[in-house]
This record gives sequence, C-alpha cells and structure tokens, in this order.
Amino acid sequence: MNAPVSADLTALSMTEAADAFACGEVSAEALARASLARIDAHDRTVNAVIRLDREAALEAAASQDRARAAGETPGPLAGAPMMHKDMYYRAGKVSTCGSKIRRDFVAPVTATVLQRLDAAGAIDLGTLNMAEFAQNPTGHNAHFGDCHNPWNLPYCTGGSSSGSGAGVAARFFTAALGSDTGGSIRLPATICGVTGLKATQTRVSRAGVMPLSFSADNVGPLVRTARDAARFLRVVAGHDPEDPTSAREPVPDYEAALNGDAKGLRIVVLETGFLDGADAPVATAFEDSMKALTAQGAIVTRANAPEIMRAVNAYTAVISRVEGATIHGNWMRGRAGDYAIHLSARLYGGYAMPGHTYVEALSRRGPLLRRFVAEVMGGADLVATPTLKTRVPTLAETDIDADPANWDRFMAVSANTRPFNYLGLPTISVPCGFDDRGLPIGLQLAGRPFAEGTVLRAADAYQRVTDWHRRAPVLP
Amino acid sequence: MEPDLVVPTMEAIRRWAGVSVPNAAARQGLADMAGLIAEVEAVRAGMVFEDEPSSFEAALADLKEPAR
Repeated sequence: MNAPVSADLTALSMTEAADAFACGEVSAEALARASLARIDAHDRTVNAVIRLDREAALEAAASQDRARAAGETPGPLAGAPMMHKDMYYRAGKVSTCGSKIRRDFVAPVTATVLQRLDAAGAIDLGTLNMAEFAQNPTGHNAHFGDCHNPWNLPYCTGGSSSGSGAGVAARFFTAALGSDTGGSIRLPATICGVTGLKATQTRVSRAGVMPLSFSADNVGPLVRTARDAARFLRVVAGHDPEDPTSAREPVPDYEAALNGDAKGLRIVVLETGFLDGADAPVATAFEDSMKALTAQGAIVTRANAPEIMRAVNAYTAVISRVEGATIHGNWMRGRAGDYAIHLSARLYGGYAMPGHTYVEALSRRGPLLRRFVAEVMGGADLVATPTLKTRVPTLAETDIDADPANWDRFMAVSANTRPFNYLGLPTISVPCGFDDRGLPIGLQLAGRPFAEGTVLRAADAYQRVTDWHRRAPVLP
Repeated sequence: MEPDLVVPTMEAIRRWAGVSVPNAAARQGLADMAGLIAEVEAVRAGMVFEDEPSSFEAALADLKEPAR
C-alpha cells in the first residue's frame, strides 16, 4: 500500500476518502479506525452518537479491503465511513427514532437507502442522535441528551438531524443520512457548517424510514462538499418498488456534470420573509455569496412573493401537524407522557385541524408550486436565500420545555426552510461564512423540480472559489 | 385570557381522536391556533384556486427544468 494521503484520515471528505481507497492509497480499515478513534476522543462532549456498531463496521471495512485486494472494482462510496440518523431501519437492529417510546424498537426491515449505500461500499459505523421523532428544528432531545454544536458547545446544532450535522462537522465520519420535512437536513447543515441536500420530493425512496409527514418527508445527505452530495445522491436516488411514491425520473451522473461553471445561471434572491429582518452577519455573508456567484458569471435578480409565501406557510403548518398527529395517534392516546413536553403539545394541535382544511392544503400544493415557478422563478434557474435568517441560537435560548417564552425563537429557526418542503423543490445548504460569535452561516439554493444537477453545479462552483466548507472546528 | 375556542376544541379532539390534553403547553398551543386559522382565512380571501383536483406530482413533472 502507498503512504496515507493524509496524516489525519478524518480530514478527508467522502469523495476524497472513497477515491483514496479506490486507488489503493488507504485501506477501508484505516479509514474506519480513524473515525472510531475520533468519536472515542470527542463525542463525550458533542453527543452526536446513539450507537456505535464498532465490530460490524470493522468487518465491513475488512471485507472492502479483501475485495479490492482480490481485484474487484470498488463501489462509488467504498471505504467511506458514515453514520446515520437513528430513524433508518436496519433489520434486527434497534432504531430509537430519538425517542423513549421506541428505545427498544427492533426494525423488521432494512431501509432501501441503507441497502443502496451498503451496495456502494459505504462503511456504516452506527446511528446518530436526532430530535425526538424528528420533530424539532433545534436538536434538543430529552431522552438521549441534547447534541452540541462542535463549533461552540452551548449552541444548538439545528435539527432534527442533529447528530448528522454535528458529526460531519466534527469530522467523526464523512457523510450521514438526515431527513428533511421542514428543514431537518438543511438546518443542521447551516448551523454546523456543512453541506446538506434535500432533493425533489419523491426523488429518494423512503421505504424503511420512520415517517413524520407523508407529504413532506425527504431523505438526503449531510456531507462536506457539493461533490460529496452529488455522488451520494446518485447512489440513493431513483425509483424503488418498495416506495410507490418514489419518482421514476432517470438519475443522472450529477458528479460528472460539476464543471465549476456558474456562468449564465440565473438566480433569484427571494427577499420578503426570507431576507428582511435578517441578522446583520447573516445578511452580509449572504450578500457576499451572491457577489461571489455574480463574479463567476451568474445573473442575480431580486423578487418578492408575499401572497404566495403566506399561503405556502399557512398550508405547510396544516399538513405537517395533521400528518404528524395521525402517525402518532396510538401513542398519543396511550403514552403521551413519554414524549417531551413540546412534542406532545405540537402533536396535540394536529387533532384540531378539520379534514377539509387538510385536504384544501394538499389540493393547493400543485397550483401554488405552478405559481411559484411561474411568478417567482420566471425564467430563473435557482432561488437563493439564507438558510437561517438569524445567528445560531444557543440551546438554552431555544429550549421551549424549560421556558415556553422561547417559542417564537424556536419556530423562527425553520422559517426559511419549511416553504421548500411544501413546494417540493430540490434545495441545498452550503456554508457561506461565520457570524461574530464564530458560528457558521449557510446559503440556501433551490431549483426547479428534479433540477438537482443545477443546484449541485451552482453549489460546487461556489465552493471552488470559497473555503468555508473546508474549515473545521477545534474540538475540546 | 384563554380564547373561547380552546375548551370546545379540546372536547372535539377527545371525541374524535380519543386524545386528552397532555400538558399546559398543549392547551396553550390550541390558544395559538387562532393565528393559524386567521392565516388560512386570509389566504382563502386573497387567492383564487380552481376547485378541481390538482395533482402535486403532476406539477412536479410538468415543471421540470428544460433540457440543457
């Protein structure tokens, strides 16, 4: 074997690790051991991990090493250490969903996305902390302990994929599955300073994944770079017979289309509700990101759509609450006391929504998407906003169980991400700066339906002229 | 002061869903529901939609990015 590509293997991104493995520069076992050592050293303070499958991961890595030695062609993710939000079922393993209620739930099936990652050679190290049942945007968890932001431990990680964002940022592993129903991939991505992609609704199978809201749940990666996201998405996207709602759209080679060129991309900055009232460091970093893309040849314009966004926000609230309440009905009837206070309170409100209002909210989704694309995007390729309009809040500032007066700050966390779930559009968050307290800031880019390639191309072009995504926190 | 809608809504939830109010925060959440109702009413008053079934999945397919 050649010398390792880096003294610290955990510094490698997912694609760097997989490529180094593929060309024989590093073993899968060395990559896995480096990740496990870093987790052992630092997770006591970050609290990103729920379960480490140490022996199984080392055996899977050794299997990849044997296959490569035997001359087999490695899969596109071979050797890359990963962990996943604890709501992706693996048959025979406990999937807690971050809850007391499912603390001992043994999954009967393996999620399609895990099967696809396994087949691509990824090394699964175990499961990650998350908001209880993926139901909050901050990452608080009353049952497994709050996950802490690796950049500054008293600050929140964003949620609900808290361990996914914190763990990728902490260089515990190269990639993690999150889920996104109102921003749960993009929020921990922006708040922890990593890259997170929510694809078009229906793009990725949800079979074997804990449901939260049938209409708005999405599966996707938190990684370090847009290139990582491109390769990851190609592996997990595509129709799945086990999920009849998954789209039959062909899956292109997103990574091959990353050419570093933003020339001619038309970007609309959506101001009303997304940028107005933003904290100054966020607004400055966001505008700087637009200047960077403009310098690369993108054409940036401004738009406002208060009427459409008002409808989107109102109907989003109806759908997510009703569907969440329905999914949790049996437990709310018998075990309501086993939920965190804020979660049972939120679920309870869903039972108050009339059926006709829920159907109305669903039936307006197509027409509102058509209006958004026609009137807001017009001929543009992308919509741009800050992912989070405020500076990153602390865990204490957003703890609504401790103080209900924190409710507005808690809900404000997902204000810029929720609308894109109702609209179903592919949306990415990439790091675009740091605030005056040293916490990350994120740029959110949304494209037309199934335009993940364009979203990724713009994000990759931006990351070629910036280094925000390469910065790593110093861990205690 | 608690809005009038809270108690009858709690009773409706109990009847229809068999769920009792779990805590004070949930009761407060119902009080806040008036704001969401007002938002939905405002949307109905301000936007006109065709009252025909409309498929979201069809919209996703129709609005795909043109081939480059």
